[in-house]
Amino acid sequence: MNLVFLRNINVALSSLPALVFCVVALLPVLAEETDDIAGLLETIGRVGSQGVGSAMARTASDQLAELDVEILPELLTAMNTPDIVAANWYRTVYERIVFKELEEKDPDFPTEWLQEFIRDASRHGRTRRLVVRLVEELTPGYYQSILPTLLDDTEFRSEAVEFVLDRGTAFQNEGDTESAKLDFQAALKHAREVDQITFAADRLQALGFEFDIARQMGFIMRWYVVGPFDAPGKSGFDKRFPPEESIDLAASYVGVDRSEIQWNLLETKDRLGQVNFVQAIAPTAEAVCYVYTELDSPQQQEVQMRCGADDNLSVWLNGENICSRRQWLNGTRLDRFSVPALLRKGRNRLLVKVCQGPQHQDPAVANNWSMRLRFCDPSGAGVILKSALPESTE
Amino acid sequence: MVVGNLELINCDGRRIPELVIFKSVYRFHGTQIEMFCFLVVLMSIMSVVVQAENWSGWRGPNRNAVSSEAHVPIHWSQQEGVRWRVGLPGAGISSPVVWEDRILLTSSDGPRQDDLHIICLARQDGKVLWHQRLWGTAPTRYHVTKSSMASPTPVTDGKHVYAFFGTGDLFCLALDGHLVWHRSLAAEYGQFENRFSATSSPLLYEDMVLVQCDHYGRSYVLAVEKTTGADRWKVDRPDEWLSWSSPQIVPVNQQGTGELLLCGSRKIDAFEPKTGTKLWTVTGMQHECIPTPVFGHGLIYVVSGPGGKTMSIRPGGRGDVSDTHVVWENSHGTPFVPSAILVGDFYYLVDDAGIATCLDAHDGSRVWRRRFPGKYTASPVATAEHIYFCNEEGDTIVLQAKQRKYERVARNRLDEPIFASPAVSQGTPYLRTTHHLFCIGFGAGVP
Repeated sequence: MNLVFLRNINVALSSLPALVFCVVALLPVLAEETDDIAGLLETIGRVGSQGVGSAMARTASDQLAELDVEILPELLTAMNTPDIVAANWYRTVYERIVFKELEEKDPDFPTEWLQEFIRDASRHGRTRRLVVRLVEELTPGYYQSILPTLLDDTEFRSEAVEFVLDRGTAFQNEGDTESAKLDFQAALKHAREVDQITFAADRLQALGFEFDIARQMGFIMRWYVVGPFDAPGKSGFDKRFPPEESIDLAASYVGVDRSEIQWNLLETKDRLGQVNFVQAIAPTAEAVCYVYTELDSPQQQEVQMRCGADDNLSVWLNGENICSRRQWLNGTRLDRFSVPALLRKGRNRLLVKVCQGPQHQDPAVANNWSMRLRFCDPSGAGVILKSALPESTE
Repeated sequence: MVVGNLELINCDGRRIPELVIFKSVYRFHGTQIEMFCFLVVLMSIMSVVVQAENWSGWRGPNRNAVSSEAHVPIHWSQQEGVRWRVGLPGAGISSPVVWEDRILLTSSDGPRQDDLHIICLARQDGKVLWHQRLWGTAPTRYHVTKSSMASPTPVTDGKHVYAFFGTGDLFCLALDGHLVWHRSLAAEYGQFENRFSATSSPLLYEDMVLVQCDHYGRSYVLAVEKTTGADRWKVDRPDEWLSWSSPQIVPVNQQGTGELLLCGSRKIDAFEPKTGTKLWTVTGMQHECIPTPVFGHGLIYVVSGPGGKTMSIRPGGRGDVSDTHVVWENSHGTPFVPSAILVGDFYYLVDDAGIATCLDAHDGSRVWRRRFPGKYTASPVATAEHIYFCNEEGDTIVLQAKQRKYERVARNRLDEPIFASPAVSQGTPYLRTTHHLFCIGFGAGVP
């Protein structure tokens, strides 16, 4: 027995150099393959504008597509790029590899890794959504099961809020108002889309709870308004009137038909912050008006200014023009324009010029003249700012 | 090779090119009489073959929506006269494109409509040959029922397919489905701002793809090289260009110059297509222009509505030729969305509400006016014999073409709305409904 054991040990020891040799010999091969994959992924990543690098990317993608699902982690990591052109080249590889594996009798995907990838909110949304579809195909019901946990997830927020709203509605229909209220409140807290916000607010109102949509979305509700200034045709966009030179809320100006016009305080009651100049000033055409407000920011902050107007608008924040749109548009669409804005700590001065073009060719069509403006974070959550209008003018 | 509705197929199931047929038959018919008979038969076959056209892009091979094919089916219903139908993913009102034995389609889906599809089907039975899924850069607003990011119709030269999407992306794929190049115009030149999504269909001209990128923001027209995707030229359109129209080419004129036509707010512009040099302008279009111009009888026919007018314009001008090159105008029945069609000596329009108008193409006088059932987004197409108008209720109204008399020969109903303009190729109309592609004709059923 001992002899057999010793002989086995001896055989094993005699084989060891060969084993070591194999491992040592294989290591460069493995490393080379890994390098090759990384190199091919890098080649694809070098595609640029104007179609530059496409031929190389095509060759690299064909080679990568020959590999199997083991490269998915590296591939998806590479795909996590803001460069849409490179991302699409990676995606063509992904689709081919996934298609090939799904054709197998027993597809063998790194499911746990894929699920972690989905939950990683730092990854690009479109890539996570791509992986969701695969995992859902492999494990039907998976997506529904994780939705309630994604209320604060930038990519899946909308569907998660929709899920909670549906659930709240079901509770409400069943008479469980407390559960319904909790769901609608959760939806309101996380929702960024106006339809979902107004739906949840209306449901809460039906349950006896009031909610200030305009405040949550960051709409500016209090303005000083002056107009109409005379601007024949579409000259208003380029024509400068006194408020663009300096703001004097006590001043009076010459308006349309040589009438005297002055600043007047206006606080809109519209739940989505729309300021209606047809009502506030007059139903007129070929004119310009200005609105002005001052806002107190608790700190310096980078935000988004989102706005829309009928017909067009220009916006100055602390004297700097941050948005000018010449288009002559119908309707004040929510968040039509979105630009970055830097709010100072303390008082911020905001001036908006809104032009009104010629009457519609059909005299029966009423000319809308309006605007709405809000400050929010990149996700659309309102930045709430206190009015800092001078006390004496309020 | 396709003869009418029949294909000549060899023993291994592959279609036989015309040249092969010619050579093989010639080898076995040596006498002069036999040769004469053969040539007569061959010429008659070839004359039909010539009519068996590909439908290579928006409004067909000549970009005028008129096929030279005859004996194309005019009767069908949901249950009868349908060779096959297939379900389509996502949404799209782009037209199908047919090249030999392949059909190419685009669509988009996803919460932002930025998941883009380019799909290739077998013409024979509608089976999916390949399906390329790609991301779009920057989706815009779109009409929820009438559009998506896949409103522009792709175009092919038989080697590659060029697909443009409302997300501001232009793709070139080989006809085997492999990506050749991708241009993110939205990333390079700014995101599109649009309320109905971009609908302009790209145009192939020589070795370039021409793309009209009109939107609320910085509009431009771009020529890119077909092989590399690189810019050949780009012309900014800084005025308030508000258009969903597609570019059109007027053939080379006596001055040796072709003309690239672009409809936009209030006017139509012509450019030298090789360089982008501006040639002429005619004013008088509506603020928002959607229909694509057509060319025939040596004239350009443009229309914009509602409440606008049709103009026929003589090409070849320089500068503002509004007062010198407009041959006739007529303000009857101008559509907002559907393009008009020139068939023989008549110019046919159907407006969005279903008012159909036929004008004399030579002087613009009204020939007839009728109310069609339903509402219209799709543009009409024609064969050598008939004109097809598809409405949003799924009806196709078929008229006898090339005659002064109004003559409706069929009204065919499918059970789904039609917003996409049909294609006609190789004896077959292809109708894209909201969820399916229908191949009209007799033969096998649903795959």
